[in-house]
Amino acid sequence: MNARLFHTIAAALLALSAAPGPAAALDAPKGEVILTVTATKLTHPNVDGTAQFDLAMLEKLAGRSATMETPWTTGEVTFAGPLLRAVLDAAGADGARLKVKALNDYAADVPIEDAKALDTILATRIGGKTMSVRDKGPLFLIYPFDQDSGLFNEKYFSRSVWQIKEIEVVE
Amino acid sequence: MQGALPGSEVIRRASKATVLLQAFAGVLLIGLAIMFGVIANRYSSLQDGIRENALWSLYQLDREARKLHESVHVAAIEGLGSAEALSRTSQRYDILYSRMSILEEGNFDRRFGGERDTGPMIAEIDRTIRELEPAFDAINDEGTVTAQTLRRIDTLLEPLISRTEALLIYANNAVSADRADARAGLLSLQIKSAGLVALLVASVGCLVFLLRRQLRNVRAAGFSLEFMAQELKKACLAAEAGNRAKSQFMATIGHEIRTPLNAILGTAELLQLSALPKGVGDGVANIRRSGQALLEIINEILDYARMEQGKLTVAAQPMVVEDTVRPALDMLRDRAAENRNEIRLALPEKSRLPVILSDPTRVRQVVLNLLSNAIKFTADGIITLRLSEIRRDDADRLRIEVSDTGIGIDEEGLGKLFQPFSQVDATIGRRFGGTGLGLAICKEIVESLGGVIGVRSLKGHGSVFWFELPAVAAEAPLAEAPEEPAALPRRRILLVEDNRVNQEVAAGFLRHLGQTVAVAGDGLEAVRQAEAADFDLVLMDMQMPNLDGVAATGLIRQIAGPRGRVPIIAMTANASEDDRRRCEEAGMNGFQSKPVSMAKLREAIATHAAPPATSAERRDFDRRRGEIVEALGEEGFAELLDSFFDDACALLKDLHASLAGNDGNRDRLLHTLKGAAASIGFRELAAACQEARDRQLTPADIRDLETTINACKSRSTA
Repeated sequence: MNARLFHTIAAALLALSAAPGPAAALDAPKGEVILTVTATKLTHPNVDGTAQFDLAMLEKLAGRSATMETPWTTGEVTFAGPLLRAVLDAAGADGARLKVKALNDYAADVPIEDAKALDTILATRIGGKTMSVRDKGPLFLIYPFDQDSGLFNEKYFSRSVWQIKEIEVVE
Repeated sequence: MQGALPGSEVIRRASKATVLLQAFAGVLLIGLAIMFGVIANRYSSLQDGIRENALWSLYQLDREARKLHESVHVAAIEGLGSAEALSRTSQRYDILYSRMSILEEGNFDRRFGGERDTGPMIAEIDRTIRELEPAFDAINDEGTVTAQTLRRIDTLLEPLISRTEALLIYANNAVSADRADARAGLLSLQIKSAGLVALLVASVGCLVFLLRRQLRNVRAAGFSLEFMAQELKKACLAAEAGNRAKSQFMATIGHEIRTPLNAILGTAELLQLSALPKGVGDGVANIRRSGQALLEIINEILDYARMEQGKLTVAAQPMVVEDTVRPALDMLRDRAAENRNEIRLALPEKSRLPVILSDPTRVRQVVLNLLSNAIKFTADGIITLRLSEIRRDDADRLRIEVSDTGIGIDEEGLGKLFQPFSQVDATIGRRFGGTGLGLAICKEIVESLGGVIGVRSLKGHGSVFWFELPAVAAEAPLAEAPEEPAALPRRRILLVEDNRVNQEVAAGFLRHLGQTVAVAGDGLEAVRQAEAADFDLVLMDMQMPNLDGVAATGLIRQIAGPRGRVPIIAMTANASEDDRRRCEEAGMNGFQSKPVSMAKLREAIATHAAPPATSAERRDFDRRRGEIVEALGEEGFAELLDSFFDDACALLKDLHASLAGNDGNRDRLLHTLKGAAASIGFRELAAACQEARDRQLTPADIRDLETTINACKSRSTA
């Protein structure tokens, strides 16, 4: 409760100090860093010119929860997490495409439109629970298959990276 | 017609082929639809099969297993590394674990398109990975690991790698084979579709070809039909022309026969007028009767010819029914008596319609025909002519029945009646004679009068011929006073006739009637005589050498003065409507059909021959004379007349003189003559003077005036 109040006040103060300039710089991650966003130029870097996020920071961003079937799961599953574009906005990153990299060094090229035009999320939770590495965690790029069945094909499957550790924004 | 097959057969065959081709094309279309269905089905199953790339997942599994093995192996050989290195190795295990779970939970075809179920293989791999789980959990929890544990993990990972490799190789082969099969299947489907499409195109091509051929045949058939129609039309025209020629021939023959027959009949009539010895008189009577019979037959034939040409005309006029039929009866009474037949007339007791609108001549003709038939086929019997008035369908009808007690007609014979050239049987013709045209003509006449004709008969018991005519009441025609043939005034008559016998006959009749006769042998002579002398009447034959009647009439009408206005009566055996019209157009005053008889000539003279002065002229003169006599007395009038004629002679002389040169007072002279003539009452002379004033005077005009003056003179002294 107190922490929450503190956060609110801090946010208000931050807003006051920053207004009317660009969005406030990113907080430093407090917990384990699970995502690093890099770009040639980041507006809101927080650690060494990169934007680093812990779980709490990600879950604070605008997100969505959606239930759908995927080729990698059995039956209907609910994914929840921040919208990809919210993450990019928070990092202050903009470019033409994203290089989404996984723990196992798998990387997929994702056009920036997939973040901007689609409600693509960086799922942090599956069935309400956070995801361990063994459960394809900690982050899973989930396209809105529930909103557009036209997305349900190999093109988007190959972009659906899991065990994400880093997103590189390329001009 | 084309080739050996008639056009219609070709068309029929072509349409059969078209139907077959259409059916074939339909079958092909169905085949194509099925093919499309199969392809669509394949595609939809492909859609269902959208799933994560299984091979890729296996590859990843194999790769992660190898990475883990490498990591553990290095750690086991080189000794334990840093905590960070341990953590990375542990993460490798986590990644491998997640890969395994994808394989288990994911939506994969575990056969990979092949025949073997890879489930047991995967389960074996899974078991090995899970076996490692406690060891890695311990590493995670404790942050350290013993070399022994690492070696154990290493030995466990070796078979895992070989299993994942085997699985990968198998899956890769299976997927490749499956892809090749799918490609082959699709190719075969495409080939089949292409085959179907080719067949379809071929059948459509055939259809187009057939349709073209059919169109060509239809056009050819159309042409041949048109050609046939033209041929038929030609044939029909030829047949009509033939029929016309036949009718024309009949008319000509009839005319050719009638001319000598007229001579025979006329001569016989003339002979009868003179006192003859007893035996000779009977012979002459016989000649006349036979001639009459022959004439009737010829008239029948001519009627029929006219009927065929559609020229048999009827003219409705008031007809006194009894007066029409009774003479027919009277005419045949003698003939009936020859067969010892009694002939009776049965009239309705009280006639409602004594006078109706019909054609008396034609009705009499029909009655005569039916009666003479009855007489012909009856001996020692009774022939009854029965008239009755009946009402049917709200209309009055006159029914005339001729019943006899003669030989009768059987069923078969009844059917042949009323048809031209038919007699009940061939022997009838030999036994009883006759043309066989009579009833056909009767039928035509009755039907043109709007009636019906019929018969009922019983063989051996006699026949009843009947006809019914529509009976519309009419005013009785003015009764002609049955006057005794009064002695005709003596007239000057020009007889124009080329046939010498007919000339003699007609001239004989005319002389017998007390007429002055001049004879002209042809049209030219007739014109010459009509120009040279005064006549009161011209009897003009129609067909003559040199100049025919019509042309001669035209020339006579061109003669100036009263001689050009002489009444002209045509005499012809060819009494068609057309002839009548031509005569009228040429300026003839009347028409008399041949053969001529005394009665006809008498009538013609009485009707047409102008008295020396027209009656109006005479009346005018008499009235004027009365007035003058009243004023001056008979002697005074006579003196007046004398001085008028003297003056007139003087005026004529002056007129002659005026022609020579001095023409200044010509009009005055004519005016003076006109005034004098009018005051005396010579209207015709006055009119002639007026007429002369209006045009260029010629010597001929003066001669005409002189003639007129002379006529006035002779009239005034009459």
